[in-house]
Amino acid sequence: MKNSLVLFFAATVVLCGMSPAWAGPNDACYTCHDRDQFRGRVVHKPVGTGKCVTCHNPHVGRYRGMLSHEGGRLCFTCHTGEAETFRTGIVHEPINRFECTRCHDPHASDRNGLVRKNLKESCLECHEDFPERYRFTHEPYLSGDCRACHAPHNSERPMLLVADRDALCGECHEPEDLAPKHRNFPGTLRSCLTCHSPHGSDRKSLIRNYLHEPYAEDCSNCHEAGSGKVGVSACAGCHGDVLEQMQATHSHLTMQSGNACVNCHSPHAGDEKRLLLSREKQVCARCHRPSIEKYKNSPYRHGSIDNCTDCHFPHGGNDMAMLKGNGLEVCALCHENQGKFTHPVGPEVPDPRTGRMITCITCHNPMGTDYKFNLLLEGKRQLCVQCHGEY
Amino acid sequence: MLLACKNDMRLLSHNHRSRPRSRAHRCPVIPALAVIILISAALLLPRAAVAGSWNVELSLKRDTIEDAMLMPSALFVDREREQYYVVDSGKNRLLSFSRQGDLLHVFNAGGSLKLPFDMVRTDDGKIWVVEKGRNSLTMIDLKAKKTIPNILESDGRAVYPHRLETDGTDLYVLDKASGTLLVYNGDLVEQQRIVCEKCTFGFFDFKLVGKSVWALDRLARKVFVYAGNGTLQQTHDLGDDVTYPVSIAVGPSGYLYVLDRHSRDVAVYDEKGAYKYRFLQFGIASGQLYYPAEIRFDPWDGLCVVDEGNARVEVYRR
Repeated sequence: MKNSLVLFFAATVVLCGMSPAWAGPNDACYTCHDRDQFRGRVVHKPVGTGKCVTCHNPHVGRYRGMLSHEGGRLCFTCHTGEAETFRTGIVHEPINRFECTRCHDPHASDRNGLVRKNLKESCLECHEDFPERYRFTHEPYLSGDCRACHAPHNSERPMLLVADRDALCGECHEPEDLAPKHRNFPGTLRSCLTCHSPHGSDRKSLIRNYLHEPYAEDCSNCHEAGSGKVGVSACAGCHGDVLEQMQATHSHLTMQSGNACVNCHSPHAGDEKRLLLSREKQVCARCHRPSIEKYKNSPYRHGSIDNCTDCHFPHGGNDMAMLKGNGLEVCALCHENQGKFTHPVGPEVPDPRTGRMITCITCHNPMGTDYKFNLLLEGKRQLCVQCHGEY
Repeated sequence: MLLACKNDMRLLSHNHRSRPRSRAHRCPVIPALAVIILISAALLLPRAAVAGSWNVELSLKRDTIEDAMLMPSALFVDREREQYYVVDSGKNRLLSFSRQGDLLHVFNAGGSLKLPFDMVRTDDGKIWVVEKGRNSLTMIDLKAKKTIPNILESDGRAVYPHRLETDGTDLYVLDKASGTLLVYNGDLVEQQRIVCEKCTFGFFDFKLVGKSVWALDRLARKVFVYAGNGTLQQTHDLGDDVTYPVSIAVGPSGYLYVLDRHSRDVAVYDEKGAYKYRFLQFGIASGQLYYPAEIRFDPWDGLCVVDEGNARVEVYRR
């Protein structure tokens, strides 16, 4: 009897141990789903351990794929540490939208971190205005090692850089190698990106494509010998009109010392004619990140805003938020007919709450709101009764 | 017991007078409810009292399109004359209101003002106006009917006046270009300069509080307190409780009031710089903010908020 019991328990243990191999939950799934699609050098732990139900409900689900949560919210139910750390500082847009699967395969991949494609392919899938290669290409870019400089999830630094700009360059480029190539540089070498592109260029040494004329001619056009400092007045010598634009109610004339122009512009070279330090939205985000975050995170917002300067003056303006005109003029830059057939607007129509004329932005906020059509309040009643209380 | 409770409820609902029952038969639910209400009130009352007690007392504005202000940018309060002066940048004019909020005068210096942004009145009766359009600290002598523009320089560079305060005699001018606070006497001779060594872009707003200067670093979200001689005494880190602070004021109790242009509200900090509460909200109706520009206390403890977007100045009191 005793032996029989031992045999029975042993058989049970063996059968239980074998069960995943022949009767586990995955097997039931694989009767319909092709097992090969879930194989790879790296397999997501729930798939490898046969626990499809960690993510999927086999019978019914609220979300596509019968998932128990939507998108990245599901990932963060297990990856709780990442849920905390990935959402601090400046957050990469896919993380912001809980779209982890844009880059990661949730089942299996041949790449570390379950990354779907090679890194460069993954990045360029969204950053599609970046070319595969340039005439002269920076080595990390060429080899697809975007992570050499950028963090894929979040960072405390603009453009998700993994370190401060100059420090980042210094990780590969030794100062003693650079010094002979920058003989007339006043003081310590710094601000590499005001001349060099970190990705690539049509020029040797990755000098950016568009050169500031005085820089192209001779450094002494702006710099006195041995001095790195150039004041606003030097810029105003040629760009006097810009200084006039800054004599406005609101302006970007602001700098602790030195030169306000170089807050946004490179004095030497740039990737486009305006010689901006980086792409426009990135330049604006250096100070106005909360506005850009609000725009990105609002459920309803004006679509197709490519650049802040579509609506805002970059240097100075006399309207709120340096808009290119009052709340009618700025919208009419694109919406030519809007004022002619909608709710009365314009100089003849006062807002009873303030006495000011009613404009598009009396009701809409293109930078994003919680309501349809970017309305400031719920549009069926709440917004209207602000003025039309009698209804 | 349930029956007793039922009876008690009935008594309450009908306000029925009856002989009090013995203590043993009293319903325990009502005293318990009373205790809960008392505790809740004790917990909630302080918050409600501080957060909900600011009310609009005055609204300095014009109600017709022709008269309405366009982009008011600053307020000066004349304690002696008991008047409010509003700088209407969009319509190149200054408006004065009585302490009761009645419009007294509209002044545009014969149409010569060009983007006035801030103003003060010194003890000698002169009005000083920051004119952004001509980059000038313009002196207006009403008695002599003179308007004299002044282009300032400091340390060999042009000064771009932004905010302006006075202690009655000297003029405190915030230079937008350098973020430096410059002190001039009535003859516009530079007396002192306060530089924020730790700021990214210098100061954006400041207020005189007694003999000290409170100055705001907008981007770093910090407030620096300087003694009259320019020595840094205190630093308040506003932290994440504000998004885009544009103006500060110090209340009679020593609390710091920070106007947040993007959150459209006012965040309040105690004397030690600890965040206490916030009030006001986004909107266009009275008591709401759209694009607020400046905050200050009047001499009668009213909190004045200049709202560029809503074309008015509202005075809150509690």
